[in-house]
Amino acid sequence: MSLQIILNGIATGSVYALIATGFALIFNVLKFSNFSHGATMTACAFISYFLVADKGLGLFPTLLAAGAAGAVVALFGEFVGFRRILKNHSSATYFFVSSITLGTLYEGLVTIRVGSNFFNFPSFFNKPTIGIGSLVISTTDVMMFIISVAVLLVLAFVIQNTRLGRALRAVSFDRDTAQLMGINSTRMIQSAFVISGVLAGIAGVFLGIKYTLYPSLGSLVVKGFIASVIGGLGSLPGAIAGAFLLGILETVLLSLLGSGYSTIATFAVMLLFLLIRPQGIAGSNVQEKA
Amino acid sequence: MSALVSNILTQVFITLIAVAGVYVLTGLTGMFSLGQAAFMAIGAYASGLLVVRLHMNFALAVVLSVLMAVAVGYLIGYPVVRLRRDYISLVTLGFGEAIGALLNRMTFLTGGASGLTGVPRRVGLPLACISAVAAIGLVAFFKTSKYGRQCIALRGDELAAKAMGINVIRVKMTAFLLSVALTAYSGALYVFYMSYVDPTGFGWKKSADWVIMVFFGGVNSLTGSTLGAFILSALPQMLRGLQNYRYVVYAVLVLLILNFKPSGLLGEWELTPGNVKRSIGRLTEGRRRKEEK
Amino acid sequence: MALLEVKNIHKSFGGVKAIQDFSIEADAGEIHGIIGPNGAGKTTIFNTISGVYTADSGEVYLNGTQITKLEQYKITRLGMGRTFQNIRLFQGLTVQENVMCAFDPQSRYTVLGGLLPTPKRLAEEKRGKELCEKYLEIVGMKDYLKERPENLSYGMQRRIEIARALMCEPKTLLLDEPAAGLNPTEVGELTELIRRVSKQIGFAILLIEHRLELVMSISDLIHVQNFGKTIAVGTPDEVRQNQEVIEAYLGKED
Repeated sequence: MSLQIILNGIATGSVYALIATGFALIFNVLKFSNFSHGATMTACAFISYFLVADKGLGLFPTLLAAGAAGAVVALFGEFVGFRRILKNHSSATYFFVSSITLGTLYEGLVTIRVGSNFFNFPSFFNKPTIGIGSLVISTTDVMMFIISVAVLLVLAFVIQNTRLGRALRAVSFDRDTAQLMGINSTRMIQSAFVISGVLAGIAGVFLGIKYTLYPSLGSLVVKGFIASVIGGLGSLPGAIAGAFLLGILETVLLSLLGSGYSTIATFAVMLLFLLIRPQGIAGSNVQEKA
Repeated sequence: MSALVSNILTQVFITLIAVAGVYVLTGLTGMFSLGQAAFMAIGAYASGLLVVRLHMNFALAVVLSVLMAVAVGYLIGYPVVRLRRDYISLVTLGFGEAIGALLNRMTFLTGGASGLTGVPRRVGLPLACISAVAAIGLVAFFKTSKYGRQCIALRGDELAAKAMGINVIRVKMTAFLLSVALTAYSGALYVFYMSYVDPTGFGWKKSADWVIMVFFGGVNSLTGSTLGAFILSALPQMLRGLQNYRYVVYAVLVLLILNFKPSGLLGEWELTPGNVKRSIGRLTEGRRRKEEK
Repeated sequence: MALLEVKNIHKSFGGVKAIQDFSIEADAGEIHGIIGPNGAGKTTIFNTISGVYTADSGEVYLNGTQITKLEQYKITRLGMGRTFQNIRLFQGLTVQENVMCAFDPQSRYTVLGGLLPTPKRLAEEKRGKELCEKYLEIVGMKDYLKERPENLSYGMQRRIEIARALMCEPKTLLLDEPAAGLNPTEVGELTELIRRVSKQIGFAILLIEHRLELVMSISDLIHVQNFGKTIAVGTPDEVRQNQEVIEAYLGKED
């Protein structure tokens, strides 16, 4: 198992980490797996592709546009898909079903615009690879890793050290009590969606760069889902750890077994992991009260 | 009946059988499977291969394929019935994707990405229709049996269910295997109708679609779930003319229901003789009152 | 051996010792009250006896069978019925179906009968419905078979929960604060009901209750719990006089 493969795995893991944290943030506040996150990524990647990248404006404006688009799309989603369900006090399954439907909607809208064609982001770097000794790393991978880590650090700072972060944590812990303590929980839920949307936008662009851009790219949301579940549902550090673990695992298995069988092996490992540690990497075991 | 209508109806009936299975799993028992479509694939491939490669009798092949799917379901069900909600989704999702990958890779057996071809056509509209009616009938009996009651009980409160002596794991497993059997059967019908099957289209999105249909019609009503499946599976076919817009229409419809009628189209209403009599009674009552005015 | 025998059970959660050395012996026809301030570990005792939790040490015998480490549903089937502090009837089922759920595990038909109306299924369902009516009659709720419990009053829901517990054909019945949330008339009716089933059916009843007038009037023996420990056991009169009990309830005078 060479260092090269591990490095590739870390690069993949860093993108998964962006997806998984966006996913876990929403799980935290509303306690459901937000499957519209995937199509949000696709939609944002396409929006920024047509608005910015296509005009040759470079990487950072593209990411910025995608993040902004993500915030808007996620806010829209919160309003259309989840606000009323929350008000109806429906069970978590309704959020889940609604999120899948939202995903279908976004994907449908994207398909109307682009058909089922594939698009390529322009290459943002002159030098496609960087060589360090005998290791060859693609410039994009390095860029993705650096930016992901930077974004995650900013996020960690916001969650740990700001008023917004404290309020978010309070709402995640107990929405009703937080509301009684004077926190506007609707505003906090919106904030969580905005943050998760920004993460989705950036992740969308990265996925587009890595795998080309097509309407059903959002299916890769399942990587974020898997990572956040193995991480311990709702735990952000857990989700990040889970994402890197998954990225490395996939890359290693891929190089050992080839595509196809690696999917199966990944599933087997995941299943084993859940049997050994059902509460995830970070999660605590919650016991039902009688 | 035009060939087009007959084609749409046959496919809709085949979907109805799978959705009846999802109703048992999600509607009655409250479990989510994102890998349910993989059992449809297993049913389709197993029965197709038995006939194409081993020249087995069609009916026997269908029965065997259902049994095989149930055997696989038993293995995957072992963790599924013991895990909490989100973990169930994860395990079934991983399972579904793994089956998809397996079908793609085992080219020597399955034809890989280009699919399994040359399956004789043995299923038409009549058989699909009869099968759907039978499947829904079985599920209706299941719902009113001790199994159905125990499913609904544990869906709401597992701890209280255990305190009443309900073997939660066993009941969940029964429901899971019934849904697997139904889904696999629908897969077998599918391959003998299309006379072809490939690994695409059995991913988690298909499973999620079935769940959406159940919620659309009414998660607490078999009649509603069936109606929801009928409408939503026929809709994209009938909206062919709208091309890419059809999925948008579909999604908007579902979102409207989820937002404004969360219990689904029919709520908890079931099509039973008693309920029909009551509804007719109410109708005639209303008319009589109008006439009196 | 008594119907229910609990020998020196202990249960801790992390550092919290919820039950320390609890024992009880209850026979058919007896009613045992368990009282104590909030957080004394009363419900934990029920949860440990009925198998929601497993005791860290100690033993529980039901009708001579060791049930300490058995799964919850198996304990129920051996003859343990219970109700819950915060009524836990099943949503989405009628009163009749709720009570039937406690019969279903004993119902003797197979999956075939689950899918088709076999003669066996019809016979078993009939037997279940008759039992269901019998128990609903005992608690005075026979006229509400087809209603949804959520549309009924709190007092009625309590009665349905008792009928459901009776349907388990228990040898020991655990009632967790059955009078919580009831008005004085309903408490009176409930007291009468508990006394009646205790005589009529003949099992051991364990009763957690904060309404002292209820516990004192029907219990044969009272166990007083505080901070996980049993501080007194005795007849209602003995307990009423016990200095330690008064302190636990009213605080110590300095």
